[in-house]
Amino acid sequence: MGKGGVGKSTSATLNSLFLAQRGFEVLIVSLDPAHNQSDIFEKDLSDKPKQVAPHLKAIEIDQDHWIKRYLKDVHEQIRRTYSYLTAFNLEKYFKVIKHSPGLEEYALILAFKEINRKFSKMDFLVFDMAPTALSLKFFNLPTLSLIWINHLLALRKEIIKKRELITKVRLMKKEIETDKVLSRIQDSIQEYTTLKGLFEDPDLTKINLVLNPDQLSLAESKRIVEGLGAINISLSQVIVNKMQENSSMDHINREFKGIPMLKVPFSETPLIGLDVLTKFLDANEEKLMEQPLQILKNGVK
Amino acid sequence: MISFLKRIQCKITDVCKIGGEIGRSKAVETIESELEEMENIFGVLVLGSFVGMPSPPMQISLDLMPYMEKELLLMMEKVDTANEPISQLFSVFDID
Repeated sequence: MGKGGVGKSTSATLNSLFLAQRGFEVLIVSLDPAHNQSDIFEKDLSDKPKQVAPHLKAIEIDQDHWIKRYLKDVHEQIRRTYSYLTAFNLEKYFKVIKHSPGLEEYALILAFKEINRKFSKMDFLVFDMAPTALSLKFFNLPTLSLIWINHLLALRKEIIKKRELITKVRLMKKEIETDKVLSRIQDSIQEYTTLKGLFEDPDLTKINLVLNPDQLSLAESKRIVEGLGAINISLSQVIVNKMQENSSMDHINREFKGIPMLKVPFSETPLIGLDVLTKFLDANEEKLMEQPLQILKNGVK
Repeated sequence: MISFLKRIQCKITDVCKIGGEIGRSKAVETIESELEEMENIFGVLVLGSFVGMPSPPMQISLDLMPYMEKELLLMMEKVDTANEPISQLFSVFDID
């Protein structure tokens, strides 16, 4: 995670390449709607994994595709279960819903879940995230959804209690049919709790904060740490990108005391293309070895 | 004489039974309208954005929507009677 332009995509690429060079099977996934991986690898990427280097595959998530797919599924379900669909004129609403706030990050969550499921056999899944605002919404989604859904669960249980009472008196029925809304609410609670647990577990999800040694990116990075802290998510590593000889590290060291820090030197040539990336990694191997090795020892997925 | 008294006893029991049933049915009707109100609240909470009210994150509404046709119908009905809430309440409690 990090401010726009600090080098999140390049750091994610270098990380992935570093792991792939050591024989691990790695998939790098771009969740940033303004994708950079195709430019970095100079290859056309899509939502299907493409080999970009030995042991390294890359995917770029098409957010619009995921929103459309999700809405189509819901629409199909409604068609199957409703008897008065046309009376509600829902078709009209569905054309507008795809522009609703919140669906953007939900599309990313759906893609994230699918990739975790589909590529669970890979040694590492590296996610190249969107800039701060969207990424914070992404990590916040399970927590926020759980607040709402627990409130709805309590109200639904109250409704079912009343309904059961009426059915017993009126129809003398002892068996009450299962409430589908309640079942769906319980499924959602399960899904969001699992996802929240995945985000919060530092053994399963390692969040790297990328920043530059300048005041603006440091200020935004502090807000990221606060934002993540509020939802019980901690950082695994701070990557200080574009480090130069005269870069001052005092503020950064003070601010992120206790968090592993990786310093990536500034590159005179743009880090584009597999050859340039590989050369950069080789040239800076000593500097870059310490922290990633720590991560490797812990074993990340 | 005894059969006459028995008949009277039976009649009284019948009247009590009918009275009980009427009372129970009235009580259930009140709970039913309370239930309908709660279902309407649930509908408005989840699907409020479809009638212009603030609602939970869109994906929660959409996930539950396929199972909430009844609530959606109820919401539409409530919109029709929304300008006469007092008369609706009075009819629940049988106040003329």
